[in-house]
Amino acid sequence: MHISDGLLSPLICGLMYAVSAAFLVWSWKKAKATYSRSLTPILAVSSAFVFAAQMINFPIPYGTSGHLVGGTFLAVVLGPYAAILSMTIVLLIQALFFADGGIFAFGANVFNMAIIGGLSFFLIKILTKNFTKKNWLLPSIFAASWLSVVLGALACALQIGFSPAFSEVGGIAVTVPAMLFWHVIIGVGEAAITTTVVSQLGRIQPTVLNGLALVRRAQNERVP
Amino acid sequence: MKGYLKPLTLILVFLAILIPFASEAPDGLERVVETFGIEEHEPLWNGLMPDYTLPAISNSYASTFLAGVFGTFLVLVMSYIMGIAITKKEAKPHE
Repeated sequence: MHISDGLLSPLICGLMYAVSAAFLVWSWKKAKATYSRSLTPILAVSSAFVFAAQMINFPIPYGTSGHLVGGTFLAVVLGPYAAILSMTIVLLIQALFFADGGIFAFGANVFNMAIIGGLSFFLIKILTKNFTKKNWLLPSIFAASWLSVVLGALACALQIGFSPAFSEVGGIAVTVPAMLFWHVIIGVGEAAITTTVVSQLGRIQPTVLNGLALVRRAQNERVP
Repeated sequence: MKGYLKPLTLILVFLAILIPFASEAPDGLERVVETFGIEEHEPLWNGLMPDYTLPAISNSYASTFLAGVFGTFLVLVMSYIMGIAITKKEAKPHE
């Protein structure tokens, strides 16, 4: 879902840079207030995992492919704020070193994958009633990771649809259905991988699920 | 440092095994771009490892794997540095 340069108009590029910058500042401030130094190793390793996993495209029907984005995975492991920031690092390395995603389109890519992915944490929080319904956890992670891809694709469709490259073929009227069609399917792959990895991690190394632990800790402090 | 060895080895083994099975098909967005016949401009910046390959290595498996190893370490180091920046020093242990 990485947008390359040349697909977006300068206006959309600038707008998305501004929106993403605002979210990054917010995440940075929230992270500073939330996390202690002990998060750093798991933050580094989980970002490295997401980078590697994004290289492995899985086939979907009709000659298309998708790959894990990993926003929801990072949100579960790191909590929403560090997830947004570490996904931004992954996207930055991809744009600078691998030309995966454009430099001008970087703001849009950060919004579609890092910010929407990180914010999917709050959907899990709502669906599990503040993480009290344990049985709902995996289904909620499944739903949140699927939705994060679909919403990311919707945002991407709007960005390219409002840009001149697509205006001749019909703009958002064609980009939205086309992007949604593929990413409704790709999202199922995202959800399956995220749910599997999280449930296995929860079994073998439950301490790494910091995103959830942070919330539990906050709850315990509130209710002595 | 020792704590990184196991998860990193796992990540790289997983990469080494899965790279040959990775799909070459266009992803969702590329597919949409192709469907509507949009011409993509020559990129302004090709990166050092375009398409996750090292241009100097002709074997495509080795080339992709090494690019992956390089990128994985780059992300590890960069996010570690950011991790230091966005976290507070450990507070004194609870009494």
